[in-house]
Amino acid sequence: MTSTDVTAVSKPRAQAGWKRLLLSEYLVLVLTVFYFAVMWTIVPEIATADTLLDILRAMMPLLVVAIGQTFVLIVAGIDLSAPSIIAMASVVGASVLTGDGGYANGTGFEIIAGILAFIAVGAVIGTFNGLCTTRFNMPSFIVTLTTMMFFSGAAIWYTTVHTDASSIGNLPRGFIGIGQGTFFGGLPFSLFVVLVVGGAAHFILSRTVYGRWLYAVGLNPRAAAVSGVPVRRVIFWAFVISGVCAAIASILYTGRLETGTPVLGQRILLDVIGAAVIGGVSLFGGKGKILWTIFGVLFLTVIDKSLQLMGLPIASVFAIKGSIILAAAVIDAVRHRVLVRG
Amino acid sequence: MNGYRNRFAMLALQNAPLLLFAVLVIVFGLMSDRFLTPVNFLNIINQSSHIAIIAIGMTFVLLIAGIDLSVGANMYLSAAILGVFFVGMPPLVAFPLVAVLGLAFGAFNGFMITQLRVAAFITTLSTLFIGRGIALYFSGNKMVPFSKDVLTFGRTAYLGIPSAIWVFALVLIIALIVLKMTTFGRQVYAVGADPDAAAKAGINVRRVTFAVYCICGVCAAVGGLVSGSQVAVASSTFGFQKEFPVIAAAVLGGTSLFGGRGGVLGTVFGAVLIQTVENGLVMTNANPYIYPLVISVIIFIAVFTDSSRTTVLERLERRKIRVEPD
Amino acid sequence: MSAAASVSAAPAAGAPLLEIEGLCKSFFGVEVLHKVGFTVHAGRVLGLVGENGSGKSTTMNIIGGVHQMDSGRIMFGGADYRPKGPRDASKQGIAFIHQELNLFRNLSIAENLFITEFPKLVPGLPFIDRGAARKRASELLAAVDLDIPPTTLVNRLSQGERQLVEIAKALGAKAKIIIFDEPTTSLTTRETDRLFDIINKLRQQGIAIIYISHILDDIMRLCDDIVVLRDGNLVGKALKADMTIERMISLMVGRNIDQLFPPRDSAIAAGPPVLEVRNITQRGTVKDISFSLRAGEVLGVSGLMGAGRSELARILFGIDDFGSGEIIVNGKALTKPTPTVCMDNGMAFLTEDRRAEGLMMEAPIDHNIALSSLQAYAGGFAHKIDSTRLNADVSKMSASVQIGARDIANTLVKNLSGGNQQKVVIGKWLLREPTVFILDEPTRGIDVGAKNEVYKIINRLAAGGAGILMISSEIEELVGMSDRIMVMAHGEIRATFERGAFDREELLRAAMWDGIRSNAK
Repeated sequence: MTSTDVTAVSKPRAQAGWKRLLLSEYLVLVLTVFYFAVMWTIVPEIATADTLLDILRAMMPLLVVAIGQTFVLIVAGIDLSAPSIIAMASVVGASVLTGDGGYANGTGFEIIAGILAFIAVGAVIGTFNGLCTTRFNMPSFIVTLTTMMFFSGAAIWYTTVHTDASSIGNLPRGFIGIGQGTFFGGLPFSLFVVLVVGGAAHFILSRTVYGRWLYAVGLNPRAAAVSGVPVRRVIFWAFVISGVCAAIASILYTGRLETGTPVLGQRILLDVIGAAVIGGVSLFGGKGKILWTIFGVLFLTVIDKSLQLMGLPIASVFAIKGSIILAAAVIDAVRHRVLVRG
Repeated sequence: MNGYRNRFAMLALQNAPLLLFAVLVIVFGLMSDRFLTPVNFLNIINQSSHIAIIAIGMTFVLLIAGIDLSVGANMYLSAAILGVFFVGMPPLVAFPLVAVLGLAFGAFNGFMITQLRVAAFITTLSTLFIGRGIALYFSGNKMVPFSKDVLTFGRTAYLGIPSAIWVFALVLIIALIVLKMTTFGRQVYAVGADPDAAAKAGINVRRVTFAVYCICGVCAAVGGLVSGSQVAVASSTFGFQKEFPVIAAAVLGGTSLFGGRGGVLGTVFGAVLIQTVENGLVMTNANPYIYPLVISVIIFIAVFTDSSRTTVLERLERRKIRVEPD
Repeated sequence: MSAAASVSAAPAAGAPLLEIEGLCKSFFGVEVLHKVGFTVHAGRVLGLVGENGSGKSTTMNIIGGVHQMDSGRIMFGGADYRPKGPRDASKQGIAFIHQELNLFRNLSIAENLFITEFPKLVPGLPFIDRGAARKRASELLAAVDLDIPPTTLVNRLSQGERQLVEIAKALGAKAKIIIFDEPTTSLTTRETDRLFDIINKLRQQGIAIIYISHILDDIMRLCDDIVVLRDGNLVGKALKADMTIERMISLMVGRNIDQLFPPRDSAIAAGPPVLEVRNITQRGTVKDISFSLRAGEVLGVSGLMGAGRSELARILFGIDDFGSGEIIVNGKALTKPTPTVCMDNGMAFLTEDRRAEGLMMEAPIDHNIALSSLQAYAGGFAHKIDSTRLNADVSKMSASVQIGARDIANTLVKNLSGGNQQKVVIGKWLLREPTVFILDEPTRGIDVGAKNEVYKIINRLAAGGAGILMISSEIEELVGMSDRIMVMAHGEIRATFERGAFDREELLRAAMWDGIRSNAK
């Protein structure tokens, strides 16, 4: 065989390889690893244990919110209220926990009561979102937009009722440990929380009846209804799950900051939706996996960290991040067209 | 009997935002004697003008069932460039240039959406980041003061009416003419009602879509200019999350997120309604922390009644097979 | 051509306007048109008939620019014609009036008429001359005898009026050829008469008409030339004088009916009633529907489109609500039926629109088949699916309904042919082992081979003791498959025929009953 033969044969094979990579669900992971490798040559600090741990720590709360959002996106909805849930849960939870006249202070159950308060806020707001979208046929975009506006304001108002300061501090040690604590010599405790939430979410989506129903509703709600899927109930619970996930993220954030703050999570909304979409979750419903969401969050967090390490100003961070989300979306659109052509 | 009750309910549902507005005006008027004055009325319009201008652009986008999340960033970018680069320029050159910048921003969105087929939500979410990033870069992450010309423009009143209202009126009239009196305007409604049918009918759907994002871009920049001339400096949060009140104003005015229904007059009404509430709360010395709560509740009520109306209408319009005597 | 000579009013009448030769088209590797060719003349009406899936719509979609031909040649007015899209086709003078009308309900009649070409106030400027638009719209509406102000929103028009607006639009676009696809299906008799008057008027003006319909009487009444398609092939081409309804039917079916419809062992068909319906009434849709369906029986439901058959099916399966009446399934009265309740009582429902309501097109075959049965394979607090058992049963089902795809876990339903898609829907319901199966147009848009397989499945199911309610627009299919046929018109049951007393003409006559006219008397 001459050398020309070799190139002639391997060229289409290489093309097929590219195509397979483009269509692979691990594309984002591959891109992340590639990006990481390139960054390593520019800012070697990125590969130190400390930085990696930092990335892991930064990822955790974001990931919990994104997992909740994935449920809503799969049923072709959107939950813009996640940041306001984080803020509201943070101040309500802190008002229960705080040593400065907290509702449960000194009862001995303050940590449990506090955590329940966090979860309850998420569940209640999620329930409201779910009810409005399913019972009153309101578009989820507008419902969650108004709950977002309402509870962002309500969180600030609630804080002013409880304290003269801009946040509620003096939280018990045990609670702070959830956000800051470590186990196995260095791994953040929040990783444990995320593993539980992520594991449960993955199990629900891939192994249970509810999971299959979520996809069915996202792909074709009318066909799902005719096939006996309780469409409204399925959508309703997606919003509750998203609310509770945001509340859990709020516990992690609040514990890390050691205070309940009404401006918590204000800027993460676009990161969350962006991460899910980069991972491959479709805004039009029916498509998404927890693994994809994890890849998306990892991708964004690595970029964030690398830009931070390079000492870039906030301006460049914004512009680069936006461009990367857009590029990912373009790749996704191209990928879609390749798929359609077959 | 039932028919009358239904008709009454429909009428109430159809005019819910108007009713709400009337109730609010009466309540605020009773609570504060400064509220129901011509000066205050002019003030409300003046303060709502920049949101109204951007919301007019947003209405075009919503009418074709699109969305533009980048208006706040566009607003900031235009203001930052105006404040940093156009300092010595005469207003007659600088202001149109700002509009052109907005147009370019919108055209970029439109290009991504129509040519590269990226979803509008994701496109404009990305350009939100990119636009703010570039603006922050130009401004060096600092306050951007505007030139004297801009401030003069913001402070001047012609015939007793502030310049912001003149701009607002001009944008509104142009938008009304375009939507009601041109082929393009009617095609916007057709594309929003059914893009497939529109394509079959021979409408260039891509061109209409592209144009709509351009219009929204121009309006965002003009809104930024008007707002900038009123506040004198653009801080790094200038225009931050403005997309939300803008969309809310349009929806409050009866424009559907699913396209084909609504109009700019309703949008203007929505923007003024939001400003009226805020103004009324100030006049009645309400706790400033509850402003966003009241406003979001009002938006919620408006959307809620609108959804109920749509549900009722859909039931009424279900295809009839039998013609039954009434 | 003697018929052409008699139409002397239009100068170009009788001249060949559109010549089609050797038209071929395939979708997903399946050939749906094979060397079809015919000629359309100015000032004449060409009737195009054929069963569902015979290639009528594809042919028209190619002429209308919706699809591109694979090979073949079309000459239009003597020049090569290859439209780039619907817009191009309409620019060149071909108007296509689809079954689902292409009007914008949020706009007025005038706006719909001129949506691409409004009259301008000043030439070159974009401003609409509303007065002129109104005036020209009035003229066009007068041409189709529609006396309604052109500022009326299309929302407020009846189906028949909307159709006339579409024709006015075609006239406004100076169409030389107007294609009608099943225009009368949702019209009353009076509206149909009016439509035919207009079509006759158009013919006299020298416009060529292509008229597609299932209603063969209408074809005989209206058309000058008749073309019959079957399975993508042209099987008949004749002047009306040389054609009869019987001949059209035999050309359309083209084979012995016994061959197409597998034999049934009707001795079994005398079980207890599985579905009893009493006086179901819903304002505006159905009135006083009563019947009972026995185990092992295939009960056909005939009627024209818009007769209320699908609406009845949707009520029975709990999708739409009803005003009064009773539904009893396997002896149990369903007071507030929902799809879930109906399914729990042994019902299954194959909808007429499998794309919109039957399938998740973007999901693989196995997920579609499993969708309705998931709970039977799940247990425990979390309803975890026993995937081993589920996958085994799903593969068995997919083999039993003969879906022609090997990898059911990775083949998306959208990549299957129509017949295989329908088998996926059937498989989904059979996995639940239903005792009452409502089938709404089960063979719509699928090829003859797949049809035969669907019939066999239906027979097997009936032999197993299920009651089957089969709605179909193809009378041959009902005659071949049913034990009894119920005919609906205007939301009422007009007649019921027992096997042995099936008569095509009687069936059609019952279906054509004009309830509104009779009521008005």
